[in-house]
Amino acid sequence: MSERSDSSEILNSLEKYDLDISDYLPSHSGPKLVLNFNKITTVSEVEGIILKGREIENGIIADIVIKEGTVFEDPIHLCFGVNKETGLQEIFPRIIAEDNSSVTLQAHCSFPNAKNLTHKMFGHIYVGKNCKFVYNETHYHGEQNGATVAPVSYVYVGENSYFENNFFLTQGTIGRMKIQIDIYAFKDSRINSNVKAFGKNSLDSIHVRDAVFLEGENARSIIKMKAAAIGGGEVMMFGITEGNAANTTGHVDCTEIVKDRGSRCRAIPLIRATDESCHITHEASLGKVDSAQLNALMARGLDEDEATDLIIKNML
Amino acid sequence: MSSDVLLSVKDISIFSEDRQCNIVDTISFDVMEGSIHSIIGPNGAGKSTIGYAIMGIYHPCSGKIFFEGENISDLTITERAKRGITLAWQTPARFDGLSVYDYIGVGVKDKNLIEQRVAEALEIVNLNPDIYLKRKVDANLSGGERKRIELASVIAMRPKLVILDEAEAGMDLIVLESFMDIFNKIKELRMTILIITHREDIGMVSDNSTLIWDGKVLANGSFRDIMVLYCQKAGLKKICSRTLFNQFDESVDKIIEEETRENKI
Repeated sequence: MSERSDSSEILNSLEKYDLDISDYLPSHSGPKLVLNFNKITTVSEVEGIILKGREIENGIIADIVIKEGTVFEDPIHLCFGVNKETGLQEIFPRIIAEDNSSVTLQAHCSFPNAKNLTHKMFGHIYVGKNCKFVYNETHYHGEQNGATVAPVSYVYVGENSYFENNFFLTQGTIGRMKIQIDIYAFKDSRINSNVKAFGKNSLDSIHVRDAVFLEGENARSIIKMKAAAIGGGEVMMFGITEGNAANTTGHVDCTEIVKDRGSRCRAIPLIRATDESCHITHEASLGKVDSAQLNALMARGLDEDEATDLIIKNML
Repeated sequence: MSSDVLLSVKDISIFSEDRQCNIVDTISFDVMEGSIHSIIGPNGAGKSTIGYAIMGIYHPCSGKIFFEGENISDLTITERAKRGITLAWQTPARFDGLSVYDYIGVGVKDKNLIEQRVAEALEIVNLNPDIYLKRKVDANLSGGERKRIELASVIAMRPKLVILDEAEAGMDLIVLESFMDIFNKIKELRMTILIITHREDIGMVSDNSTLIWDGKVLANGSFRDIMVLYCQKAGLKKICSRTLFNQFDESVDKIIEEETRENKI
């Protein structure tokens, strides 16, 4: 199979997310870095954005620099896919957004045929002053519970910058997944972190640790974690916010729906304030679907399972 | 209006959760097919509880509910909805991520008609489809917008019986003025309406009314008769709300005044 058809197959596997893959195909002119397993298949730079990839033993190091003042409307595409059923892929992204830049990174992590496949990531993102940086990571792990995925990211968000993290793993089966993201927010920065995950059977296990450390005065953050566990699946959400500087504001919101025997949802919000002017809050709800929502849909003719599925599908 | 009984509530009683008291006590009334029937009464009288019992959300400890002659007392909410009963909530639920289009269309049986029904229903409740179809039924909608979307979802479904639980609460005055039009359009679509309200200006659209007081039926009859009784019972010498239907208010006021003069009250 050619490299081009390999990457198309990986992208096609993401269509369950209602994704328009034409924006990401190799023929698309936008900036991109595309992998198949541990080989770099496409690197495409545009003015103001440097993309460099280096292959190592079991993966790659990806260096991305958004140069000072660069404002780029189209997303920068990172495709970390594996068609193989087994193997180990290790990715080390090092991303720098220089001052006054504005970009969106769209990472696709797709392992459509995974049976005994491990994907590890150890990433660092440095966001300068007065930036807008959106990082979207969309996962698809196939239908055979065969992936083990462990991404770890450290993000540093500079003065007066906005950082948004959107992590979605709601289609297909999860397999085993352990995510850790630590975000350090400096003066006047704003953080918006969203995680959505769906465990569908007893072989699906997802652990998420999403942490924001508000280190600069007036930094603000919100973490929203939404998950569902059905058919014996397991989801654990660990939302952390620390206010370590004056006038910082943070909130952790966790909503998890659990359905079917053997399914488990856990949420541990951990909030900490070390300055009397901080305002850090959390909210968590776990359990069955809200009865008002269920009744509303059942009164239109859906049965309980149909109504629950619709609520979960739309929440995620 | 047909002379057939569509819904018959027979002697239903519902206990409070702690079973210390009856929220409603041996309630009976009939709703005629094609009519607008109002359940009137003060706050806490048990009006909404009756609506929820008809929908199958609350289960009476005694009594029966018949719909088109069938005893539906033991049916689930879904089964009742499939037979043609639905309810528009006083405080409608909000849903993360669910689009207005999907919510309004969820009750439309013929999936080929969803688009047409959703657009029609939004226009009936005076919401612009170009604006609202893109939105979500979440916390970003105002209370009034959410109520109108609730009404639209009922209209799109085309049930035989619509229970409107204080549909007017939270609506702005402009929409209140158009309520008559909305009710008439629902009637034109051959739906029977059961209005639960404590506003006389809304209840006056009804053909028949039931007055509930402390969980019991005080009277069944025409709306005008029921309002006279309501005012007497509440010790009112005039109807409080004069916003929309002064002419009607004045006619009821006149009856109350005359009956007071004749020492009937």
